[in-house]
Amino acid sequence: MAAWASRLLLLRAPCWAALRTGGASESPVLALGCVRTLNGTTWFEEHLTEDNQKYMKKSISEEYRRQTAEKLNPLKDEPWPRHEWTEGSRRVGLVAVKLGMVPVWTKSGERHVVTMIQVQDCHVVKCLSKEEFDGHTAALLVGGKNVSPFHRSEETMEMFRIAGVPPKQKVTTFKVSDNALIKPGTPLYAAHFRPGQYVDITAKTIGKGFQGVMKRYGFKGQPASHGSTKTHRRPGGSGPGDPAKVFKGKKMPGQMGNYFDTAHGLKVWRVNTKANVLYVHGSVPGHRNCLLKVRDTILPRRSASLLHPPFPTFFSEEEGDLAEDLYDQDMFVHTEPSLTLD
Amino acid sequence: MAACMKRLDRAMLSIRLLRNIQLHNERSLSTSLHRLALDGEQPSKFTPPVKPVIIDKTQSVASLRKFLSPEFVPPRQRTNPAKFSMERRDMVRRRKVLHIPEFYVGSILAVTMTDPHSAGKNNRFVGICIQRGGRGLGATFVLRNIIDNQGVEICYEMYSPRVQQIEVLKLEKRLDDNLMYLRDALPEYCTVDPDMKPHPFSTTGEVPVNKIKVKMLPKPWSKRWERPKFDVKGIRFDLCLSPEQMEHAQKWAQPWLEYDMLKEYDTSKLEEDIYTEIQQEAATK
Amino acid sequence: MALLPHLAKACHVLRVDVTSLSQRSAFSVSAVAAAIQKMTRVRVVDNSPLGNTPHHRAPRVIHVYTKNGIGKVGDKVMLAIKGQKKKALIVGHKMPGNRMTPRFDSNNVVLIEDNGNPTGTRIRVPVPTHLRKMEGDYSKLLAIASTFV
Repeated sequence: MAAWASRLLLLRAPCWAALRTGGASESPVLALGCVRTLNGTTWFEEHLTEDNQKYMKKSISEEYRRQTAEKLNPLKDEPWPRHEWTEGSRRVGLVAVKLGMVPVWTKSGERHVVTMIQVQDCHVVKCLSKEEFDGHTAALLVGGKNVSPFHRSEETMEMFRIAGVPPKQKVTTFKVSDNALIKPGTPLYAAHFRPGQYVDITAKTIGKGFQGVMKRYGFKGQPASHGSTKTHRRPGGSGPGDPAKVFKGKKMPGQMGNYFDTAHGLKVWRVNTKANVLYVHGSVPGHRNCLLKVRDTILPRRSASLLHPPFPTFFSEEEGDLAEDLYDQDMFVHTEPSLTLD
Repeated sequence: MAACMKRLDRAMLSIRLLRNIQLHNERSLSTSLHRLALDGEQPSKFTPPVKPVIIDKTQSVASLRKFLSPEFVPPRQRTNPAKFSMERRDMVRRRKVLHIPEFYVGSILAVTMTDPHSAGKNNRFVGICIQRGGRGLGATFVLRNIIDNQGVEICYEMYSPRVQQIEVLKLEKRLDDNLMYLRDALPEYCTVDPDMKPHPFSTTGEVPVNKIKVKMLPKPWSKRWERPKFDVKGIRFDLCLSPEQMEHAQKWAQPWLEYDMLKEYDTSKLEEDIYTEIQQEAATK
Repeated sequence: MALLPHLAKACHVLRVDVTSLSQRSAFSVSAVAAAIQKMTRVRVVDNSPLGNTPHHRAPRVIHVYTKNGIGKVGDKVMLAIKGQKKKALIVGHKMPGNRMTPRFDSNNVVLIEDNGNPTGTRIRVPVPTHLRKMEGDYSKLLAIASTFV
């Protein structure tokens, strides 16, 4: 098994080189029809010599850097026509990584907890027009966090190759209005969102497995003693007797967590433009280091906070001299003196 | 005996003073550059002032010993280190504005905080630090005192903008890293005079350890402090518990835990790196 | 020369000890560490005669005038004290509240009349300053407080 895997990897390495030169998609690996179910037991450097490992890592990172650097000035090479922000336009969102939580303080001394979210190598990967997507709205595919080019299907690699960006760990679809379309390959930054605005964040929640109703819905359960037998954590009755059925949506035991969930209307307190970090109010679904989908909020009342956002996105060469940290006006900045209330 | 100790202590102090004066010349050379970079600012924690190190009885001076506040050390978990470094940058920024001195559990502190409800808009509380908690920007410490025969504790957020001043009135360590057992000890051990004058302390050398062992109130206590998991050294158990009871408490001992290699977390290298990083950060304007 | 202050301190300690011992009952009772709810034993901290004459039964909370039945600083409670029903106001509890607010070693209440005026004329222990948030209701109570923390 190990020998087989090594041969496969050695075959793959030149394939990767071929792909880089824009080579054709026919490759010996595909012909083999490589079905590798055990991804966890081997990794790419396992059967390589140390020099080869170094070379692979170096060449991949160089390649990624080159591809990213090419895209740094999307307004220079044949930019797409840009439109003005209008009421009701829908912008693209970001794919970001959850870092963890920290406290922030307001200027009146209140404490809030915020989640730090980092935007890592976020690029527009593909643009789907109205007809190509669903006939109602246009869409943009956005990917985040560069990953190894191995273990990707050929179609996925093709998509990234066309966009000219490194392969991404997560690619999501954002429905956007027609005036907010962006050319594939454009990098997206944290400054796409501004302090004071509200965002919605979607991610896969932490999986808890198949759970009973006490953990899943907070039911009370039954007494531990006083003659109750075999009925301590069970749901009890499931409805009245007269309709002679159980109503739809009855809370029952089942899978808890590990589904996509959205936290709506979270305020952006602070944006670090250098490290591309957003400070978003409160907690966010998903575990640490998980990939999130961040977009402008759909809540009608909170959308008013979005008056003149960077449209269709933030281009670094346009407002290049943005401050390192953008703060919400209510937020206490640590360089200010201590609060004196009067 | 006590008087003898006191005299010895004074002699040690004078020796230390002499040494400081000798050291002063070379130190002034090294720190004058820092001073230039930081003129017009309050002396922050990591830039030692050039002032001659004469022990000032009215004001606490910044410590010169190498000390890294424990909240700078990140917990052991799979978080991106960039998160902690960004947090540290904010902490250093705050420390440039507010001088957070070196202190330990067992030190006596005075904290002035802004209080929107208080009469003078300011609130000063003096007490003994019984616990330090939290990492990063969320770091806290608990002060305890007894006012009008009523035990009072306040948990302060170290980086909250409401904190205006933190003074160390007496710098010392105790036998334990957590003094929560003072809640069940005789009240004399955590009674601090609110108008206490700052005790002079040396800014170099080892921090003095107060090896006092406290007498407890009769049981029941808030926790069973004799259990091995608390590992309390600062209680006179011989006065309140029989040897049989002490023996019985060992039933909950988990002597295998110290051999758990998965729980090992050596932070010495990490602390070294963070210390240099913070020094550089504090030196830049 | 070093002995004198020591003696004074010892005397002080003795006094504190005696008072605290009188509060503690001779047998073991469960620790009061939660917020104030029904049947919580409390300590009356004003100088009203009702709250200060010793009685064989500690004052108990028999009702908390909040929606969730849990009393924090500033909430009104009904006490059973010396066989009578009496209203009181919570001025400190053992359960830690928000950060930067004091936590006390006992559950302190001040007796009030039905119209909100305090029964006693002095509060013997420190009172948390965030009680002032409801200054309009309890200004008479705040006026008789001796110290604030």
